[in-house]
Amino acid sequence: MALYDLAGLLVEMSPRYPTLLTQAEPYRSERDGKAQITITPPQDYVAQMQENDPGLSEDQCEYLAFGSLFYRQLLRFGGMMLHSSAVVADGRAYLFTAPPGTGKSTHTALWLQKFGERAYILNDDKPALRFADGKLYAYGTPFSGKTDLSRNTCAPVAGICILERGTVDCIAPISAEQALPLLYEQTVRILPRTGAELMLDILVRTAQAAPLFRMQCTPTPTAVLIAYQAMCPKDKEKR
Amino acid sequence: MKIKNDFILRKVGDTGAVVPVGQASREFDGMVTLNATGVFLWEHLQKKTTREALIAALTAEYEVDPQVASADVDAFLQNAKDAGLLVE
Repeated sequence: MALYDLAGLLVEMSPRYPTLLTQAEPYRSERDGKAQITITPPQDYVAQMQENDPGLSEDQCEYLAFGSLFYRQLLRFGGMMLHSSAVVADGRAYLFTAPPGTGKSTHTALWLQKFGERAYILNDDKPALRFADGKLYAYGTPFSGKTDLSRNTCAPVAGICILERGTVDCIAPISAEQALPLLYEQTVRILPRTGAELMLDILVRTAQAAPLFRMQCTPTPTAVLIAYQAMCPKDKEKR
Repeated sequence: MKIKNDFILRKVGDTGAVVPVGQASREFDGMVTLNATGVFLWEHLQKKTTREALIAALTAEYEVDPQVASADVDAFLQNAKDAGLLVE
């Protein structure tokens, strides 16, 4: 088994197929110690997954199953996955969450165009969220969906935005109460009782800690400007 | 009647968020949000109770007219029933 540093935790796993092997390589740990999370899928997991979806390759099964096992165990350490594209600009993470096909990655790719070297994609599909010293951080992980865009680092969360397609660009803050049902749809569900209790606690805590927004957006640079202006923490909040 | 055991409630300010656990999450894959009255009724329904007892509790807690309370309780119970959250 090899050791990896994922979301600040020492994780033990033995990937065999190229997608996960390649994407996990930057996360190899040089720390010594006992793994906090061990990812060991059931022996016949590939067969089980292929029964539900015969189109999945062994490589894809491994990538999906290991990600799912990691994010389920992450709940025990006060962290959760949010299905979102996370872009870091000037050291702060901006998360855009939505159902597949809405345009999360398209939107954050436009951030890279606008900000150039000031920005990078932390995780294009499934960043981890976790509190450290009472502050909410987003983490890159090897599990980044269809793209391999992730970076082994973390950044404080500037805001979480629920993204919708629109014909104009328009963004507004929303309350934790409004955001919770939408955030719930984009995280790990179908959990046994203890897992569901942990998940809901973390979800509520996250929704109360992070500035929350809802945006209708077009796939244009204007959308980036409007999102950034609304979500960028103002100086008065830093004091 | 009572709320099925397979749902958990967390308070968010004076509102509530409810999600299914285990098998229930395969049948009801979503979150229920509750206002303050909803949270109050949900908590009472975690133990077996009746429509009349709920109306009495709501009337006592919020000093509302029994007619208003019974309308609130009926609306809540109908929604909960439609979503499959109740057992006899």
